[in-house]
Amino acid sequence: MYDAHVDRVFRLVFRMAGDLDRAQDYTQEAFIRAFERLKDFRGEAALSTWICSIAVSVTLNGLRRVRRAREREIGLDDAPPIGSGTHQADPDLKVRLSRAIDDLPEGYRTVFVMHDVEGYTHEEIGATLGVRPGTSKAQLSRARAKLRTALADFARK
Amino acid sequence: MHDDDELDDRLKRGAAEYHKPPETPREAMWEAIQRRRQGEPSSEPGRVLAFPRRWVPWAAAAAAVLAVGIGIGRLTVSHPPKATPAVASAPEAPRKRETAYQLATVEHLGQAEAFLTLFRASVRSGGDEQLASATARQLLANNRLLLDSPAGQDRKTRLLLEDLELVLAEISQLSSEPRSGDLQMIREGIERGGVLSRLRTVVPAGATSRQGAL
Repeated sequence: MYDAHVDRVFRLVFRMAGDLDRAQDYTQEAFIRAFERLKDFRGEAALSTWICSIAVSVTLNGLRRVRRAREREIGLDDAPPIGSGTHQADPDLKVRLSRAIDDLPEGYRTVFVMHDVEGYTHEEIGATLGVRPGTSKAQLSRARAKLRTALADFARK
Repeated sequence: MHDDDELDDRLKRGAAEYHKPPETPREAMWEAIQRRRQGEPSSEPGRVLAFPRRWVPWAAAAAAVLAVGIGIGRLTVSHPPKATPAVASAPEAPRKRETAYQLATVEHLGQAEAFLTLFRASVRSGGDEQLASATARQLLANNRLLLDSPAGQDRKTRLLLEDLELVLAEISQLSSEPRSGDLQMIREGIERGGVLSRLRTVVPAGATSRQGAL
């Protein structure tokens, strides 16, 4: 199970966490939970989807804790988005886009990363996040709209 | 429109670079997983399933420990000197007190271990945190009784009881609708201090199912 799925899980977790240490921690935790709960797996979804759903849950919970801890330490207004440690002051599109993705609401960001970055289908995203594929499509559409707005000045260049 | 299309293309290309993952550190993660699993016998098949996934039996069991705890309290209370010769009774009393303390401690730690194992599983599956909180309060009361007992001299056991107290206190303070982050933090607290693995080291197998495991 580990050999078959670890690459896909790690890629997704890293994309969401943006940090090697955290990505490793969350991936490990996801597999430990999956091993513990394997006996409860009833085959209602593909094994890969089931593991990804555990990984996404672990990662989102972990990132929320990180965000809360940061907010406590430096105050809400000054808290940088998660995974934004390397942004520069004078950003090009790549950096601006990275920052804009970081700034998306959690649900939009998760769907955007899964679909547009990692290439999951809406059916897979729906099964992983426990939502309907239509919800995934709607969230992706809103995520893209927000990114377009955030990066509108690049369209005029 | 043209601008939008062009921006979408640029977004798509740029998104591929977002948090671009390095090569998967397969071996390092696998070794870490193995280490965690070796220190966490709860993943052994059957171990967790052997316990019913409800809190109520643990609340009852915790109450039973409380009774044992009260017993310790009685044993550890200083009685006025009797007329019998001190030479004959002196070595006997501390031994009795120590044995009673050990019995109660093993029973308590065994129940705490089972409770935390169930609680950890419940955090993942969405259990009844109010019942968990009530059970934690009862276990906390027993825990304090054991910590306060003059018979509790063993440093390792005291440290474990102190760490356990922190975890039980956190669970006992859970609201009826705790945020998943709170639950996760408690769960991490359990793992960070190795509380569960230490409990499992101390508690002999089957200690929770019978009295007098020592």
